Amino acid sequence: LSSAASISPAESISQAYSLALYMQKNTSMLLQTYLQYQGSPFSDPGFSAPELQLSSLPPATAFFKTWRTLDDGERLSLAQGAFLALTQHLQLVRDDQSDLNPGSPILLAQLGTARLRAQGLLGNMATIMTALGLPMLPEEDTLGLVAFGASAFERKCRGYVVTREYGHWTDRAVRDLALLKAKYPA
Amino acid sequence: MALFVVFQTTFFLTLLSLRTYQSEVLAERLPLTPVSLKVSTNSIHQSLHLQWTVHNLPYHQELKMVFQIQISRIETSNVVWVGNYSTTVKWNQVLHWSWESELPLECATHFVRIKSVMDDASFPEPNFWSNWSSWEEVSVQYSLGRDILFVFPKDKLVEEGSNVTICYVSRNIQNNVSCYLEGKQIHGEQLDPHVTAFNLNSVPFIRNRGTNIYCEASQGNVSKGIEGIVLFVSKVLEEPKDFSCETQDFKTLHCTWDPGTDTALGWSKQPSQSYTLFESFSGEKKLCTHKNWCNWQITQDSQEMYNFTLIAENYLRKRSVNILFNLTHRVYLMNPFSVNFENVNATNAIMTWKVHSMRNNFTYLCQIELHGEGKMMQYDVSIKVNGEYFLSELEPATEYMARVRCADASNFWKWSEWSGQNFTTLEAAPSEAPDVWRSVNSEPGNHTVTLFWKPLSKLHANGKILFYNVVVENLDKPSRSELRSIPAPANSTKLILDRCSYQICVTANNSVGASPASIIVISADPENKEVEEERIAGTDGGFSLSWKPQPGDVIGYVVDWCDHPQDVLQWKNVGPNTTSTVISTDAFRPGVRYDFRIYGLSTKRIACLLEKKTGYSQELAPSDNPHVLVDMLTSHSFTLSWKDYSTESQPGFIQGYHVYLKSKARQCHPRFQKAILSDGSECCKYKIDNPEEKALIVDNLKPESSYEFFVTPFTSAGEGPNATFTKVTTPDEHSSMLIHILLPMVFCVLLIMIVCYLKSQWIKETCYPDIPDPYKSSILSLIKFKENPHLTIMNVSDCIPDAIEVVSKPEGTKIQILGTRKSLTETELTKPNYLYLLPTEKNHSGPGPCICFENFTYNQAASDSGFCGHVPVSPKAPPSMLGLMTSPENVLKALEKNYMNSLGEVPAGETSLNYVSQLASPMSGDKDSLPTNPVEPPHCSEYKMQIAVPLRLALPRPTENSSLSSITLLDPGEHYR
Repeated sequence: LSSAASISPAESISQAYSLALYMQKNTSMLLQTYLQYQGSPFSDPGFSAPELQLSSLPPATAFFKTWRTLDDGERLSLAQGAFLALTQHLQLVRDDQSDLNPGSPILLAQLGTARLRAQGLLGNMATIMTALGLPMLPEEDTLGLVAFGASAFERKCRGYVVTREYGHWTDRAVRDLALLKAKYPA
Repeated sequence: MALFVVFQTTFFLTLLSLRTYQSEVLAERLPLTPVSLKVSTNSIHQSLHLQWTVHNLPYHQELKMVFQIQISRIETSNVVWVGNYSTTVKWNQVLHWSWESELPLECATHFVRIKSVMDDASFPEPNFWSNWSSWEEVSVQYSLGRDILFVFPKDKLVEEGSNVTICYVSRNIQNNVSCYLEGKQIHGEQLDPHVTAFNLNSVPFIRNRGTNIYCEASQGNVSKGIEGIVLFVSKVLEEPKDFSCETQDFKTLHCTWDPGTDTALGWSKQPSQSYTLFESFSGEKKLCTHKNWCNWQITQDSQEMYNFTLIAENYLRKRSVNILFNLTHRVYLMNPFSVNFENVNATNAIMTWKVHSMRNNFTYLCQIELHGEGKMMQYDVSIKVNGEYFLSELEPATEYMARVRCADASNFWKWSEWSGQNFTTLEAAPSEAPDVWRSVNSEPGNHTVTLFWKPLSKLHANGKILFYNVVVENLDKPSRSELRSIPAPANSTKLILDRCSYQICVTANNSVGASPASIIVISADPENKEVEEERIAGTDGGFSLSWKPQPGDVIGYVVDWCDHPQDVLQWKNVGPNTTSTVISTDAFRPGVRYDFRIYGLSTKRIACLLEKKTGYSQELAPSDNPHVLVDMLTSHSFTLSWKDYSTESQPGFIQGYHVYLKSKARQCHPRFQKAILSDGSECCKYKIDNPEEKALIVDNLKPESSYEFFVTPFTSAGEGPNATFTKVTTPDEHSSMLIHILLPMVFCVLLIMIVCYLKSQWIKETCYPDIPDPYKSSILSLIKFKENPHLTIMNVSDCIPDAIEVVSKPEGTKIQILGTRKSLTETELTKPNYLYLLPTEKNHSGPGPCICFENFTYNQAASDSGFCGHVPVSPKAPPSMLGLMTSPENVLKALEKNYMNSLGEVPAGETSLNYVSQLASPMSGDKDSLPTNPVEPPHCSEYKMQIAVPLRLALPRPTENSSLSSITLLDPGEHYR
């Protein structure tokens, strides 16, 4: 953090924005790879189950007005909280899949990469918050609420929600950071 | 007897009364209704677990009881299962019993009740069922969450082909719920408004990651939720196949089997099946770590019999196979060792080997395989520890591979692995005479005999042939035999023999000895017999030859030929009773002519040429076209010839030629036929059927026409290669006539020229005699003789042409003329360019004056006029001109007129003093422009031949035609000095 303090807000925002854009390119591939390994209905063409949610994972969708009226600190905090939960959930999904699909190194590798990138974005956000002098979000175990005795189907659904929300939150992070970027031009 | 009957009756009655009493007592004392029934559920196994006790059991007494259990679903009246459970019950014992439900327990409330009956032999009949316990209700639905949809059973493990019931619970009956198995909708039975069950019969194995079954709740088209389960369908565990155990050393038993399908499932739902070995005699058990083999340690030497059970097991099923065997019947020997060969000679060898000793007094059965020369022999031999086998009938100098394997002779189980070794037999003398043939070239005084032989086959060579011995023996006169030793691998030698009969013996020799001899006799007479060559047709397979048998005794026939392109003599021996053979070899090439000679071998082994055959295995089209010459080209015909074309060295028998002719005329000439070439163009074709006819006269042609021809030979396979046509143009008729005329004319002219040359002196004298020397002239004497003493002969050196000299003349007319002429000269000097030639003209700008040699023998008038004879001869000169010249004025006039004729526009006048170059070319152009544009007179240095003629003598009559240029008139009274 000491090194982060020396970075200007614009620079850290730009870095985070670049990473978020890069992540955005790979999220849909992660979701497709994930679904492909889960069997029907997940692997069916055009599969979508927006009603599936995880209580432990905040949904990325929000009313535009609500989102737009949030101040920078709130907006960043929400994203930070979501990606904190996502990193833990992505680890959980990877564990589930290594049990169910041990012979699918591609999926496992993509899940691992996604988790690392989410962690990277978290770090970038922390830098921005420090640079902007915003209060840091305390780290908490969002997975404390996860049921370990979930059935195979529930785990598949959980993985679906996590990979889907990872994409949604990445999209939202791109918007969040774009907004910040406009505010703090280089 | 009666006493016995009474006793018996009494006994039975007593016993009956006793039992009646007992049961009454028990019934009264023991109300055996099961009590404290508790039912719990196991969601994983979808089972109900019952536990209860039986009150009032006798203390410390075990009683056999039967419990009847009733299970209802949804409501108590809907009994889905009734069954008995027999067990022995102790005092105060809590009884347990489980029931697995087909329908997931979450989907329906279950009710359970139980009753019992004594089933113990110690209690007399009749036994009565107790009362039912009260219904115990089991419902797990309350434990479900708040979701709108639930599907059960979760993560159930079943075997492929089994029946499975699944169900869903929908909280909201407004929702329309559809369920799918791997994307295909399934239809179920509604148990209540919230619950529907689906019976899946004979579920298939799809993948080891499980089968997805999911239900989707929706209202209209709006999906309200999705829920599902993964059904883990396992492959049916197979019984291990080919289970067997064997030992190599009586220390370890190696058991193997074919495990069949792996039944492992994903999500750690079921690992691969496990294998366990159980030996019943020893009671030992071993869990195998490999899925298809296991080693079992033999611990007790005394145990001979083994009863193995191999148990395969997974979560769903257990399978086992059993084998019972005597250890000594399962001996799989280790492969033999120390394989060696002793006393190896040309045809025999002794093979020895050893076997790993198992137990004392073991007899082994061994199998020997001998591989050599592409053949395999097999021998069986029974041995103790050390094996030995005598290998006989081997081929000399041959590499063999021998291998051996053994088994327990008394209780054959299986062969050991092979152990082998290579060995080579020794050489022996060649067993057969080499196949020898010869070619004889007779020369004056001797024969050159080339002997050829074929290398012996490996079978007959019996080793490596080192050299060939050739022994030549003169049969006609006693002399010492000549021995030649030719080192292998030579296959021929050349001998020069005189005109005697010779016997030649050839033997092949290896390191052991010589082969039998091959004998050939060369007769004293050379084989100069002329035999006609016959053409034969070959086939792909070769040539079929037949010949007339040779009269007299023959020991066989030989057919020889040359192989191309190696040019090696080949031959084939044919038996004495055969007069035909097929020569077939891969060496025959298409398009190559093969010449076969057939010899008969007499009993004296003398070969006699019988027949000659020639042919092609496959004829090809000619490879080249003849070089054609065009002869005798006339306007109507020409001759084509190709005499140099060789018909012999062609890839087929030349059958003739095709002559193609192209002309502008569409019609073909007689004898020619229309043909279409490969490029589609039309032409005329003439066929020559005789290969030796190598010329063709093409006639009936048109003069001055262009023709194109092309000659190609043909064989049975076709024509020669395509080539370009050669063009010939016929000359016209007149030119030939002209030649007929011109040639003699040229000849005549030449002849005349030669004659002229030879007679040149005569011709000169006749046609152009030398100009006579005036001094020597007879005329001079004649003149001298006359009155004119002034008349002299002028020398050329005396001539000063650059100056005009006025000679005084007595005649007044002459002076006048000259005076006029002078004035003219002065006044008009610049006008005619001839006058520039005069050196008096200072402004002369021409390149140089024209040198004029003036002959002063001219007529004075002509000389005065400066006329040097350059005036062109005018054929139009008036015939009266000479006549007019009798007076000087007239001469001048005539001259002027000539000037005007020649110069066109030279102004006429009295210019009589002009000096004119003799060779000045006539000027053209405007006279006015002459002074300003003087034309350079050409250089000239010619001398005008002139003849001085005395006026009086030479003056022709006025009417006589005369050329002015050739005659100069001399006036006797006037001349230049």
